Amino acid sequence: MNKLVSKFKEISDDYELLLILAKRDIAVRYKQTILGVAWAVIRPMATMLVFLFAFKNVANIKDFSGYPIQLVIFSGILFWNFFANGFQSISQSILVNGNLISKVYFPRLIICISSLAVTLVDFFVGLLVYMLLLIGLQQPLTETILFIPLALLITTIFSLGLGLIFASYAIKYRDILQAIPLIVQYGFFVTPIVYTSNEFIGKSWYPVYSLLNPLASFVEFFRFCLIPNYSLFSLNSLLVAGVTSIIIFIIGLLVFDVREDSFVDHL
Amino acid sequence: MNIIDVESVSKKYNLATQSEAKSLRNGLSDFFKSTPKKEFYAVNDVSFSLQKGDKLGIIGNNGAGKSTLLKILSRITKPTEGKIHVRGKVASLLEVGTGFHPELTGRENIYLNGAILGMSKAEITSQFDQIVDFAGNQISQFLDTPVKRYSSGMYVRLGFAISAHLNPEILIVDEVLAVGDADFQKKSLGKMKEVAANDRTILFVSHNLTAVANLCNKTLHLEKGRVKQFGETGEVINNYMANMQKNVNEQRFANFAEAPGNEIVRLKSCTLIPQLFENQAFMDVRNAINLSIEFWNTVDNQNLNISLHVYASTGECIFNISTPVGNFNKGVVQATTEIPANFMNDGSYIISFMIVKDKSIVLHNFEEIFNFEIADYRIDTTWYGKWPGYVRPNFDFPISQTSNTI
Repeated sequence: MNKLVSKFKEISDDYELLLILAKRDIAVRYKQTILGVAWAVIRPMATMLVFLFAFKNVANIKDFSGYPIQLVIFSGILFWNFFANGFQSISQSILVNGNLISKVYFPRLIICISSLAVTLVDFFVGLLVYMLLLIGLQQPLTETILFIPLALLITTIFSLGLGLIFASYAIKYRDILQAIPLIVQYGFFVTPIVYTSNEFIGKSWYPVYSLLNPLASFVEFFRFCLIPNYSLFSLNSLLVAGVTSIIIFIIGLLVFDVREDSFVDHL
Repeated sequence: MNIIDVESVSKKYNLATQSEAKSLRNGLSDFFKSTPKKEFYAVNDVSFSLQKGDKLGIIGNNGAGKSTLLKILSRITKPTEGKIHVRGKVASLLEVGTGFHPELTGRENIYLNGAILGMSKAEITSQFDQIVDFAGNQISQFLDTPVKRYSSGMYVRLGFAISAHLNPEILIVDEVLAVGDADFQKKSLGKMKEVAANDRTILFVSHNLTAVANLCNKTLHLEKGRVKQFGETGEVINNYMANMQKNVNEQRFANFAEAPGNEIVRLKSCTLIPQLFENQAFMDVRNAINLSIEFWNTVDNQNLNISLHVYASTGECIFNISTPVGNFNKGVVQATTEIPANFMNDGSYIISFMIVKDKSIVLHNFEEIFNFEIADYRIDTTWYGKWPGYVRPNFDFPISQTSNTI
């Protein structure tokens, strides 16, 4: 426990570096693109349109349990991008910044945390688009949106924990980098991103599923924040998922702590 | 109290693992088979300690473990065995411009690089103008241009300017003097001296022995990861140079059959002997060098001459001299020459020569026969950068005042 505390202290002592690295990533993200930050809008929109097309015209689904299909899908994608992009950039952060790591000492965790900045910006841009979508569909914005920071926090704890574990091993075993896109791709479908958990909430395996996949509870929490009168969210499963992510987070920190000393030797 | 204590520090690499990132499959098979691993000590049982204000020069050949030692001291990597105690804030300049992002402007990079090297935002802001000033005029015009548009010289100058304004108790420097033009090197050395004067501790890795001799009071000589000698700079450098120059200055072959060459000519002996002054341990730019070559000739009535090439370590040929052509019979042929004093610049040189028949047919090319080092020598100087050029003649170059009016 002392170790964890000293880790946090090291980072808070160096928060200026954390901020400037985050700023660097944001500043550089859309350099030399014509559309610039519009890409943060285009990507989730395009994904949503593809699924809308498939659901409406091919599968002939018009809504999910009475909620507008656009809102369900877009909020799901917003959440998923926030988790998946964050997880991916944390996992790769040590390798991507190898030239820094091998030349200067600073708390290595900083580079992992700062790599979340871009994802966070993209999320808020997407959130603005979501609000326009609400207006377009003549849906109200409810005060539950005030829970968004909390939703972001617990998701971040989870993606950071998972990302740290992957980052720690990706330095030595580059296979991990090959596996990450697969995890993200399949995760997208086994988590209620483009559908709701209503589809399997009564199934016998549901309790095990929601324990194993905390993301399912998180996404419903996001929808609870974003979709008016959303009822598929359960506080109990969110609490369970929250505990899971804290455990993953602590494991991630411990693994990272053990492995960070040898990063330079494998870069 | 010592500011740095290094106690029997070693850094071991497993050759199998450090070369490339492992794939999971290899990792698993290693796990099951437990194949014997080749171990390699980059740094082996190194101990020394420094007091506050010491300037330590670290010298040694490539692969001696200098950079690994610096990485351990700057906490970039952990030693496998042993302990280090560093009491104070460390900043390292392992490479100038570390962490520059090509897409960001010079201004943004000053803040980024400064933060990476451990400066606070307030510190950078307060020193911003000095940094830009130090980097030179050109940079101040292009402050808001992405650094990817900078010339490599500008890039390095800006990088060094930032580093030079760090304010750590311990500064670790790796070969910054190799970069930039003479003018900028001068500025950099001046800055290092200024830092040195401030009772700051400096660890300085360099191949530039002149700079080490002039900036450092203590020197650590590493050889294959081990401490060869640690002590006062003058003594360590003397031994280092004497050691380095001894080994390859003479080759003698007693047996004709085993000597290099071919059926027509074979090398009997060759020597390179500097004319040292009394009490001088190794040659420097002031010494003349005697060269002598003896070879066996197996054919009667041949018109032969020797053509000798002197190369810089970078590969350029500096000069080519040739003996007159002579008519020789079977037996031993000898040629000698003297490279005059104050002619070659300091540096590493390679000598090759060929034996030529009838002025045009190369009978044999003896490649890289000598590999030698000439040390620098300067007195009363304030400039320690590398003296440019391959030759360093001492021509008369008088200067005088001819008039008192303008």
